[in-house]
Amino acid sequence: MNRGCLAAATARLFLFQGSMNPERLQGLGMAVAIEPLLRDLEGGPAGKAYHEAIGRAAGFFNTHPYMAGLAVGAVAKAEHAGVPSQQVDRLRMALKGPLGSLGDRMIWEGVLPAAAAIGLSLSTMTNPFIAVGAFLLLFNAPHVLLRWWGLRAGWRLGIDVAEALSHPVLQAGLKISGPMAALAIGFAIPVVAEWLTTGLDAAARWGTAAVGLSTAIVTRWLVPTLGAARLGILALAATLVLGWLS
Amino acid sequence: MSLDLVRVDDRLIHGQVVVGWGRELKPDLVVLADDEVAANEWEQKLYALGVPCSMRVEFATVAEAARSVDAWAHDSCKTIIILSDIDSLQRLCNDAPIIRKVNLGGVHNDGDRQQHLPYLFLSEAEVGQLRLLATRGIEITAQDLPNSAPVTLEDLL
Repeated sequence: MNRGCLAAATARLFLFQGSMNPERLQGLGMAVAIEPLLRDLEGGPAGKAYHEAIGRAAGFFNTHPYMAGLAVGAVAKAEHAGVPSQQVDRLRMALKGPLGSLGDRMIWEGVLPAAAAIGLSLSTMTNPFIAVGAFLLLFNAPHVLLRWWGLRAGWRLGIDVAEALSHPVLQAGLKISGPMAALAIGFAIPVVAEWLTTGLDAAARWGTAAVGLSTAIVTRWLVPTLGAARLGILALAATLVLGWLS
Repeated sequence: MSLDLVRVDDRLIHGQVVVGWGRELKPDLVVLADDEVAANEWEQKLYALGVPCSMRVEFATVAEAARSVDAWAHDSCKTIIILSDIDSLQRLCNDAPIIRKVNLGGVHNDGDRQQHLPYLFLSEAEVGQLRLLATRGIEITAQDLPNSAPVTLEDLL
């Protein structure tokens, strides 16, 4: 496989969710990302093998977008190795769930909240642009590396891609990302709360604490379907209406 | 009773199950009841890697799962069962009448299905199977995540 095709597939991984839709979810994204890796199948882009492989790749697929490189690389390698089409389909289907689970645990429950908490904490202590830069670096570096490594590991291992999921660095990332996020958030909450309430009188501080506590109670126990974002928008709208009335 | 969730989801073990429902229900055991996965060791290895070490995972055919449902329901550990399609659900419910409540979490289009929710496509045959289960008193709701609103079968169809 020439490096240009691998580089093109890596770049296309950033468009993985570009055509997300309820019917096939990320199927088209999978087909777009894998296409450069299938060009040198027997017969080239005009050949039957290429067209059939693209068609298979465009079927229903759903995984964590940052882990998708492993699936793209492994499926492409299986196509090149002449693995029967039914087994290629099973490989694609079997990868989507576990990669989704690993990505959700590591990124949405670990890297993203940890990066956000560190960025927020830094914003109270230093130049806000440094805090924003730190957040962007801490959040983006892991997923760019994951996409780059995942595609190459998948391409190297093909149908044995489970070996890559047992990689010690990935397993260590899974183990530490959640506790890291908890530690960073635990540090950030009092630091940011202190920063937010500096200069407020006691009544306003108690009011801020009450809003935070009631938000947690409503979104966690009373109306979990509401979600923190919707509640935040409602609270903002209520504030604006009250401000306008007064 | 510690059979906390019987879920139909064609993605099987994935983020919504492990992170979404896993955090909410804190299951000790995840049972993947699927005939094809039960016959395929390398697929089992992949699915097992998607489950955190705080949960055990078992693989079973639908028939094997049906034989064990009673034991799981009366065991002290919390169990969730994942099935890949409506046909498997019907077979499981036929053989394990103790199941009174099921969750539709993700059935996607394979060509001849109609969309009912963003994550739920059903063929006419599958709608018939679900109606039949409902007439036997099984509570069927569609809900992808614990914090999304459940949709009853009546509202769905």
